[in-house]
Amino acid sequence: MNILNFFIASVLSACPLLFGTLGETLTERSGNLNLGVEGMMFMGGIAGLAGSYYYETLSENPVVWVSVVIAIVCSFLCAAFGALIYSVLTITFRANQNVTGLALTIFGTGFGNFFGELLSNSAGGYAAVGNATKVAFNAPISATLASSSVVGKLLFSYNFLVYIALALALFLTYFINHTRTGLNLWAVGERHAAADAAGINVTRYKYLATCIGGGITGLGGMYIVMNSASGVGGVWVHNCISGYGWLSVALVIFAMWHPSRAIFASFVFGALSVARFYFPVSFLPDAIYEVVPYIATIVVLISVSMRSRRRLQPPASLGLAYFREER
Amino acid sequence: MKKVLALILSLALLIAVAACGGGKETSSPAPSAGTSSPSEPSKGIAKEDLKIGFIHISDPSDKGYTFNHDLGTWKMVEALGLSEDQIINKYNVGEDEGCAAAIDELIEAGCQIIFATSFGHGSYMQEAAAAHPEIEFCHATGSGAASSGLPNFHNYFTAIYEARFLGGIAAGLKLKELGETKLGYVAAYPYAEVISGYTAFYLGAKSVLPEVTMDVIYTNSWHDPVLEAQAAQTLIDGGCKVISQHSDSTAPATTAQSNGVFQVGYNADMIDAAPNASIISARSDWSVYLIYAVTQLMNGEPIATDWCAGLSEGAVYMSPLNEAIAAPGTKEAIEKAKQDIIDGKLHVFAGPLTGSGVNFSGETETITIPEGEWFEESKKQSAPYWFYIIDGINVLG
Repeated sequence: MNILNFFIASVLSACPLLFGTLGETLTERSGNLNLGVEGMMFMGGIAGLAGSYYYETLSENPVVWVSVVIAIVCSFLCAAFGALIYSVLTITFRANQNVTGLALTIFGTGFGNFFGELLSNSAGGYAAVGNATKVAFNAPISATLASSSVVGKLLFSYNFLVYIALALALFLTYFINHTRTGLNLWAVGERHAAADAAGINVTRYKYLATCIGGGITGLGGMYIVMNSASGVGGVWVHNCISGYGWLSVALVIFAMWHPSRAIFASFVFGALSVARFYFPVSFLPDAIYEVVPYIATIVVLISVSMRSRRRLQPPASLGLAYFREER
Repeated sequence: MKKVLALILSLALLIAVAACGGGKETSSPAPSAGTSSPSEPSKGIAKEDLKIGFIHISDPSDKGYTFNHDLGTWKMVEALGLSEDQIINKYNVGEDEGCAAAIDELIEAGCQIIFATSFGHGSYMQEAAAAHPEIEFCHATGSGAASSGLPNFHNYFTAIYEARFLGGIAAGLKLKELGETKLGYVAAYPYAEVISGYTAFYLGAKSVLPEVTMDVIYTNSWHDPVLEAQAAQTLIDGGCKVISQHSDSTAPATTAQSNGVFQVGYNADMIDAAPNASIISARSDWSVYLIYAVTQLMNGEPIATDWCAGLSEGAVYMSPLNEAIAAPGTKEAIEKAKQDIIDGKLHVFAGPLTGSGVNFSGETETITIPEGEWFEESKKQSAPYWFYIIDGINVLG
């Protein structure tokens, strides 16, 4: 029973990481290293909560599914807006990607906490979404199947966002490997100039991949704000994202820029984040559990660079700005 | 040209961040070289000359510990008829060299009394107290004042364990109503302050439900909402039907709600955040101490080296009971226990109790309190020093 609970808790903890990793993978595939994931998660988180909260306070008879959709759309758009700031600076003005990404993290963190506090103060205490919305973000996708058997519990006891994240991971895997647009994106990330020469609109690809990727990371932030098993349950809590964005950046490396591997990678990180609660080992300090994911990332980096398999390398142009005139 | 534009845009972004994030300095502009002569504390200080400094570990947006302490500040300002610009708050001061710098800034701004709210601020407060005998330094949750021997260095804390005991009663009665026996507790660190709190909570529940047991999980953080939620989820997975917490956020409350179990809060009334789960919260009213300390300073009287007050002084209290979900009779039971504690008829750490724990020098110590005797918490010093894990409490990790 404990193992079953542990597995479920791991999946629930992995989900925000999976959103973050998928979004950042898509971004990095275009050659843009956006270190602002943490900031975009904050932006997505507060926008999702604010959207839902205002809809529920302003509407006379709030409908749950509308509230859920508003949360998803608002968080996606707000985080994509954060990514757009980054895109304008790095793609159009060719600013340094690392510095811009860090600035976006600082900006997004302040943005989230500022508006979060504003919302809380205007609510006079805690800004919380209604109970029905909280349930919608936490309820198993099929309660009857989840309680039917062990297999049913393993497969159906997650909220709908978990399945969306999984579907997204599979779709992105297909998209990058098997569609023309995806392969073009891959080409852009590998060598801008070659892609440009082949007639691919590098700027457009970079903008779209970065903004859509940013929006997807924002959904991870919304998950943390809305989920209650691995998040704060539909209430704004100061500094609630607390490092999940940075974990996602590490996970992209752990997953070797492949969306399908991101599923496994984020599950491992999610499992490690709750492992010490379910399987405490009295003589092991808690800090060990916390550093294991990072050690694993370093090991993966080293082993991959030693094996140098070509499909498992970072996009060759990652972090570089593209100057057409300097071809 | 584009580079320049990019630079300008990045700068604009940074400035926006600075504006949004909110700096450390707040509310009141510090007059530079204002109060010229620091008046002798022994002679008292006129109300209008007072300058009061605060060092906070976070800022009131945490809606937890700092929020609650800040409420005390403004209550004190109102009670004493001070004006807002006599208060200088330093928010988000870490337990590092930044604390020394913040203290220096407060001294330069002319503060005659400085309060610091976090345990790790203690050593910097002590250093500053030794260097500035004309200024009073008051440190919450700390334990160094008595041993330092400095007349201007003081410790204070509330007897929050009394309120936690009352919260335990509400939790125990709820368990009894549900026909369950297992409590859960999301704890911050394995420190005496935390252990004292959850032991009191457990004993409160035990006073109404003798067969109760409690699982405890440490998050090793005062404020990490996601971790608090994960810990709460683990406790609930393990069969805990009522949980409580020594951590800042409402995450355990919302996690309890989505799992259909119940919660007793800390520092803030959490009913808004989880109306179907949060039964009641234990809170401190810091204004009781702040009013006391500042009044002593104004009158030129000495401030106690160790100060601790509880239910009888109103320094700790319970937030309104969520009567929709509380077990019947909870209100009366809490009221009665509260009166008994105030009258000295009921003691929180009363025997028979056995337990063991790691003391302040790192050695394992056991304790046995026989029937009819009790442990005096927060009498020798203001900060809690009950560090024993008693039978019935199970620390998971």
